[in-house]
Amino acid sequence: MAGLSLEHVGKRYPNGFEAVKDFCLDIKDKEFIIFVGPSGCGKSTTLRMIAGLEDISSGTLEIDGKVVNDVEPKDRDIAMVFQNYALYPHMSVYDNMAFSLKLKKLPKDQIDKAVREAARVLDLEQLLDRRPSALSGGQRQRVAMGRAIVRSPKVFLMDEPLSNLDAKLRVQMRTEISKLHDRLGATIVYVTHDQTEAMTLGTRIVVMKDGEVQQVDTPQNLYNAPRNLFVAGFIGSPQMNFVDATVGRSGSGVSLSFEGQKVELDGDRAKALLDGGYDGKTVVLGIRPEDVHEADAPSEGKRLSSPVAVTVGVYELLGAGSMLYCDCGKTSIAASVSSDTKARVGSKINVAFDLDKIHLFDKATEQAIAH
Amino acid sequence: MHFGKNMRTYYLILIPVLVLFFAFNTFPLINGLIYSFTNSKGYGGFDWVGLRNYADLFSDSRVGNSYLFTFKLALLGTVVINVLSLVLALALNSKIKFKSSLRGLYFIPNILGALVVGYVFNYFFTYILPYLTHSTSMLADKGWAWVAVVVVCAWQAIAMNTIIYISGLQTVPEDIYEAGALDGASGWNKFRYLTFPLIMPFFTINMVLSMKNLLMVFDQIMSLTQGGPAQSTESISYLIYNNGLAGGQFGFQSANAVIFFIVIVTISVLQMRFLNSREEQL
Repeated sequence: MAGLSLEHVGKRYPNGFEAVKDFCLDIKDKEFIIFVGPSGCGKSTTLRMIAGLEDISSGTLEIDGKVVNDVEPKDRDIAMVFQNYALYPHMSVYDNMAFSLKLKKLPKDQIDKAVREAARVLDLEQLLDRRPSALSGGQRQRVAMGRAIVRSPKVFLMDEPLSNLDAKLRVQMRTEISKLHDRLGATIVYVTHDQTEAMTLGTRIVVMKDGEVQQVDTPQNLYNAPRNLFVAGFIGSPQMNFVDATVGRSGSGVSLSFEGQKVELDGDRAKALLDGGYDGKTVVLGIRPEDVHEADAPSEGKRLSSPVAVTVGVYELLGAGSMLYCDCGKTSIAASVSSDTKARVGSKINVAFDLDKIHLFDKATEQAIAH
Repeated sequence: MHFGKNMRTYYLILIPVLVLFFAFNTFPLINGLIYSFTNSKGYGGFDWVGLRNYADLFSDSRVGNSYLFTFKLALLGTVVINVLSLVLALALNSKIKFKSSLRGLYFIPNILGALVVGYVFNYFFTYILPYLTHSTSMLADKGWAWVAVVVVCAWQAIAMNTIIYISGLQTVPEDIYEAGALDGASGWNKFRYLTFPLIMPFFTINMVLSMKNLLMVFDQIMSLTQGGPAQSTESISYLIYNNGLAGGQFGFQSANAVIFFIVIVTISVLQMRFLNSREEQL
């Protein structure tokens, strides 16, 4: 296994479209890196540049300390699992897995050993003689993984490998991939648009938008300290609430006013706002639905804001909890509350924000001010 | 009532087609089969001769030679046509400029009539090529005339075969090639292990069509050599036409046509069976 380094890597197509801009990232040996972002953000293009399936327009790509910009895909010692699996339809499962080793002209017994070992790991032993057309989606996915594993590559690249599976199988395969990473100690670069996959699998996540890296961090840090509005909105489900609020001084702290409501802040957040010269300006207050509580519910030691009066617009019972989508003037606020809640559609209730979980963003630059 | 009205419409559509098909296909076929048991000259009276025409076919050296020539042409032509059209299709399917225009250009031979092409090439082989090479016409040379026929047949047939191969190549998903590129399949290995097996169904169609068309070669012979020199390029179809209609061997050549029909059907079926068994189940 090996590390990877992308320095100012860019991709510009002949029509002038810049799919990836100034991508910088060091991937350590055995890391599980996730590229996540909405469709068209450049995550797959970046992965394909690493694979050698797309030319790199600018910058340098190193695998295991060697610049590989102009190295053929087959000579980069990488393996890739494609979104549509890209299995060879005319070959059996065995031949699909053995193909790369055959082309390397390895001895037959060595190929056989590698294929059977991978088949054992992935529970494919009974399927070795079958053609891909006779396999289910999950089995095809495992064959695609097997084809990658037999090569013992320096780096595994996975391009949305679970997106064609149904929800149940996806969860199952996610666990399998995680186990595989632990077992093989492999360096994996994984592309997905599913933030749950990103959060559960990655040791670090690269959030991308419009070809630019927005933030590279651990899942925990991305969730707790998103660098900008996009990351804050993209990571976390249901999405973080964003409220435009005007900053004003209030004693030693500040107050955030919106829709006739007021939230008082002190400590680091208040200091950051004052130091940043936001007094009198509008900022974006971010609060995750699970940090919005019903004002009369037990607070369990949390520091809650003063009550904010809202009207429930939509009520969803999710089983373990409930979601309330509330209106506060023209602002919508989602709250993830206990399933015991008495609130229903049309109820006028008071909610309160967990003051220690409030995120603040600059309205113009969309960059984080404080968490 | 509704059903009856529908049926009437169906019959109104079906019967004219059936009548035409019977009149111009089935009836001549049966007629030919009947005449093959006679000594008809194509005019005047005739006697029944039983299977004598069929027996004589196997001892007639001219018929034998026409079979030899036709099979030589068909086998060689099929190989030449398929190899060249596959190469052309690969080139026209790659990332090149003016791809669509070139595809159109290479398809032109197919829309020209075979006789027109034959007469143009006749002029080329009779006047232009000898002038350029300071030699005699290929068409007048017993050893080379068949090559000219192969060239003309191939020139025209390649157009259609190329289009069929191009459509075949377009059915291969790009990600298969990408997976192949990562696995180390490039150049010849890519063609041998990925492209060719995946376009095998199209190869089957092209092989059967080329073989069948070449076995039935007529227009090119008519316009280029008329079977000459010294009957060295006399195809079976041309012999049936020439001796059957103009040579007073209507009954005998009818028997030849029946055998030829059976031969072509047999070859096509065998070819389909063999190639289908090699087609990969995709």
